Amino acid sequence: MTSRRSTVALSLRKDSPPFKRVLVANRGEIALRIMRACRDLGSETVAVFSAADADALHVSAADSAVAIGPAPAAESYLRVDRILDAARVADADAIHPGYGFLSERPELARECAAAGITFVGPSPETLASLGDKIAARSAAARAGVPTVPGTPGPLHLEGAGADTALQAAADSVGLPILIKAAAGGGGRGMRRVDSMADLLEAAKAASREAAASFGDGSVYLERLVEGARHVEVQLLGDGQGNVVALGERVCSVQRRHQKLVEEAPAPGLSTAQRVALHALAVRVAETVGLRNAATAEFLMTPAGEFWFLEVNARLQVEHGVTEMVTGLDLVHEQLWIAAGKPLSDNVRAAADVAAEPARHAIEARISAEDPARDFTPVPGRLGRWQQPAGPGVRVDSGVGPGSVVSPYYDPLLAKVMAVGTDRASAVGHLREALYELTVTGLQTTLPFHLWLLTEPAFTSAEGLATDLVEKLWRPEGLTANAADRAAQAALKSTYAAFAGPGGELQPMPGSTWWRRGVEEGTRGAT
Amino acid sequence: MTGQGRFRLTVEGAADVVVDLDAPSADAQSMDGGNDSQVSVYPLPPSAVDRAGDRRRFDVMVDGWHFTVRAEPAARGALRAQASRAAAAHQAHAGVALRAQIPGRVIRLWVADGDQVEEGQPLLAIEAMKMENEIRAPRAGRVDSTLVGEGQLVERGEELLNIL
Repeated sequence: MTSRRSTVALSLRKDSPPFKRVLVANRGEIALRIMRACRDLGSETVAVFSAADADALHVSAADSAVAIGPAPAAESYLRVDRILDAARVADADAIHPGYGFLSERPELARECAAAGITFVGPSPETLASLGDKIAARSAAARAGVPTVPGTPGPLHLEGAGADTALQAAADSVGLPILIKAAAGGGGRGMRRVDSMADLLEAAKAASREAAASFGDGSVYLERLVEGARHVEVQLLGDGQGNVVALGERVCSVQRRHQKLVEEAPAPGLSTAQRVALHALAVRVAETVGLRNAATAEFLMTPAGEFWFLEVNARLQVEHGVTEMVTGLDLVHEQLWIAAGKPLSDNVRAAADVAAEPARHAIEARISAEDPARDFTPVPGRLGRWQQPAGPGVRVDSGVGPGSVVSPYYDPLLAKVMAVGTDRASAVGHLREALYELTVTGLQTTLPFHLWLLTEPAFTSAEGLATDLVEKLWRPEGLTANAADRAAQAALKSTYAAFAGPGGELQPMPGSTWWRRGVEEGTRGAT
Repeated sequence: MTGQGRFRLTVEGAADVVVDLDAPSADAQSMDGGNDSQVSVYPLPPSAVDRAGDRRRFDVMVDGWHFTVRAEPAARGALRAQASRAAAAHQAHAGVALRAQIPGRVIRLWVADGDQVEEGQPLLAIEAMKMENEIRAPRAGRVDSTLVGEGQLVERGEELLNIL
């Protein structure tokens, strides 16, 4: 462990820091984003890293860093004991889990409490009742909040009678069905089933994926509502009886149940609908005594009903769009709440106007995935990396030129966000920002986003159903055309770099052709 | 510059293209423009092979698509293509070799040597970046020389099995 940077003098801050030293139990863009917030408030930062991440940006950005094990997440970032050991070694008084990994595991929150370290997040009890999606569904139902039809408990996939029990559960839910992981998130452990014949194999595959990702293979069934939109509400609670909604987001553009684009607010909702939706979300959060940040997800049916899906009891990947609309820094607020403060005046003021947002923000997730090949992850090494900038543009990234994109973790490289006074201006602004992004070395989702932001089904907001990508994304023609233009452009550069004064092509200095010319006296030496 | 002005461009990336082109036309220049389109070209440092072959390589981005492009005199490119076609014809007798598109762990192997498979049938699943990625048969045939087993880690490009 080495100390990399001293903390800035505190003389400009009116409050003393919420914590002396915060360990960030995460990696990539979110680790950097949380560290920035810690530094803003005068708290020192501690990074943890696996063997694959020794050269990662989040390690050099922290004041100190602790190695926590080999590359596989199950042996490093998912190890509660190693995170706690790192916090003790670094003398951290708080742990921020970010999203994914251990962020919603009650064990980490519990172990923190036992060790006298503050966990920046909900209580272990809240995490247990919200993080388990099955428990969250029943909590919402008890609070009188409508839920998506589904099975009330986890499915048994092994042993005698498993097949028939599963069949009966599926019959009661009705096709098409979505198999979901109780501990799930990020599309992992999720499978769509259109035919009863595929049910058992799909459930087992989902369970294996869930076990590998979350260490818990429990899965349940939910009806898949065709043409529905995903709407989620940002919540903050202080554990002192105050819970507020800070507006909603939509994450309707998805692929393999992974979000590609998110925006705030949800287009097309009336103020009355927003008020109703936010109230439902607050009711769920109050039922479980929410402290800190969480997001309540709902399905908005084509008929305009809101059905509760789940609560993510942590900071979301897409929290930035809410920050751009509200002007809040949600990680600042998380840290203050964790330090025992009630909801700030800024939070209350933002909540008061959350149903009538004055701005619109959109986020594009830039991942190391090939959108021409079914969004297959393409780990490798980045070549060039140049981020967009400018007013109203925000980039949260965890990589730089030459960064290694490891196959062990999520392929998310960066989130590019833009804000405008309305949706159309935010769309245009984001498109211009994305044209500024340079990334070579491996394929990313960038061309998909450039296409999407001119696609009428998206720009008009009318086609914002979860199946937009399956229905409209046809990359074949785009890639063939782009390859032709790449050839033309390379040819032009060849001539620009090497054409002589008379237009004849000069050989590359150092080539055999060039050397022969030098020997014959027809070329100058270099 | 006749003869030497004709170039072979070998494009690899989101789509693979090989094309012979003459000096860039005015049309080609205007293709780079426009508000809804962006082309960026970055020369790559030449290797010893590039120098000997009088070959240039570029990283090219077209509307977010990433390509590497090799430019070389067309005649030289044609010779090279002939050589690689001969090599490919030789390999065709060995059936289709399936290679891992991503590094990861083989978590399921649904077939064994000798199995008859249909086009599109799932053969095995590789877990990478926490997702299960199914590998399907590119054509109907018989599975032969399976080189991997469940639980095995594979590198990108590693041969997994053959379909005869």
